[in-house]
Amino acid sequence: MLEKEMIQSRGFKNVSQGGKIIGFQVPIRSLYYRGVWLSQLRAATVKVDGEKFEGAQITWTISGKTYAQADLAKYSDVNWPLYEPAILTINKPGGLKLGNHEVEASYAYSASYMPPSMDLGFPASAKRKMVLAG
Amino acid sequence: MEISRKQFLKVTAAAAASAAIGSPGIKAATTGKPKRGVSIYSYSGELYVTMTLEDCMADMYGMDARGIEILANGHIEGYPNPSDAWVKNWHALCAKYNIVPVEYGHWVDSRMHEGRELTTKESYDTLVRDLKLANRLGFTVARTKLGVIDNTLTPVKNWREFIKMAIPEAKKLNVRMCPEIHSPTRLKSKMLDDYVDFIEKEKTTPWFGLNIDFGVFLNKPTAAMQAQMKGMGGTMTAGDKVEDIVPLLPYVHACHAKFVNMSDDFVETTTPYDEIIATLIKHNWDGYMLSEYEGSNKDVPGYSSDQLRKQHVLMKRLLGEA
Repeated sequence: MLEKEMIQSRGFKNVSQGGKIIGFQVPIRSLYYRGVWLSQLRAATVKVDGEKFEGAQITWTISGKTYAQADLAKYSDVNWPLYEPAILTINKPGGLKLGNHEVEASYAYSASYMPPSMDLGFPASAKRKMVLAG
Repeated sequence: MEISRKQFLKVTAAAAASAAIGSPGIKAATTGKPKRGVSIYSYSGELYVTMTLEDCMADMYGMDARGIEILANGHIEGYPNPSDAWVKNWHALCAKYNIVPVEYGHWVDSRMHEGRELTTKESYDTLVRDLKLANRLGFTVARTKLGVIDNTLTPVKNWREFIKMAIPEAKKLNVRMCPEIHSPTRLKSKMLDDYVDFIEKEKTTPWFGLNIDFGVFLNKPTAAMQAQMKGMGGTMTAGDKVEDIVPLLPYVHACHAKFVNMSDDFVETTTPYDEIIATLIKHNWDGYMLSEYEGSNKDVPGYSSDQLRKQHVLMKRLLGEA
């Protein structure tokens, strides 16, 4: 089962490669009532304690496959299901310090049944106090 | 319902005439009355957080609500290619909870690609992929949500082309494609005229018809709804007259029993359910009314379920089931 909040605590951690911490990951679940195709997503922004990350600093991992934000538009055949968090991995050598952090995440998505003038007008956005423990 | 609009008007006119002269010999053909069901959309504040899909189906069982609507892109694990094991389990759950797959909610996402609309062929392909999956899961109605091009929700320009192309598949798969007529669209409007003209001209019944969302009849918005509209710079428009649905009924294959606020004494305070259900019974409409809870506190555990249970008590009473 998922946590109620958009930003999930389970899975919030630093990420290592070759024995070095290269960044951290923030899992988010979709609060929308249906899944979306990756091409309907628009790039996410993450802020931790006021420090902003965006664009190529962030990748999306869905169902075990990782996508650059710039490539999301190409994947109109890959679905982000409601029951699975997307893992946002943020490139930050050294990662985050253990302890308390205020984490914010936002992204927009296109819905074809909304008037074009209102499309992308309801971005998903959330802020949560989190504890980094690993 | 495979009679044309003209035949339907003739039948209702004849029934009215016989009622007027008090003839005891002529009875309107009775085909039954509306049936009850639930759209799993109602549980969207709890699904995958405090409830599984099976929990939702078990909850429906407690209301004797037999018809189900799922949202394909949301409630089917592995969509659009669920495993055989998932499909087998789906059918087992329907049998376990005495549930009939009624409506399969899906989208033709015209703006799936940034900066351009889907071509007619692409729209057809996505539509048929969903019709096939609907059939595999046992559904007989598809709520075919079309992309829109303006603020009154006018559908994409090429809808007629890809719907026409898909009719033979819909027929083969026994699935009726129905766009949802949803507020602020009005039942008396150019959009409905266009749909009805298409249905009659192309003789699409029953493979292309309509799903009417009862939200079009909402005429007493809650204070929260009024405040929200005001905040968005708008005002609530008056709801349609319930009788406006009557000429459309021959084309209506399912309804969304949209509701916002059930009181503790089993009244829906925003929408005239008594009049709506009396009208459907009077005109022998025997499709499924699928509950869509659109009120507050959807993410409060148990709240949506309580609202659904109250609404089904109301509907049972109005249908003479209680």
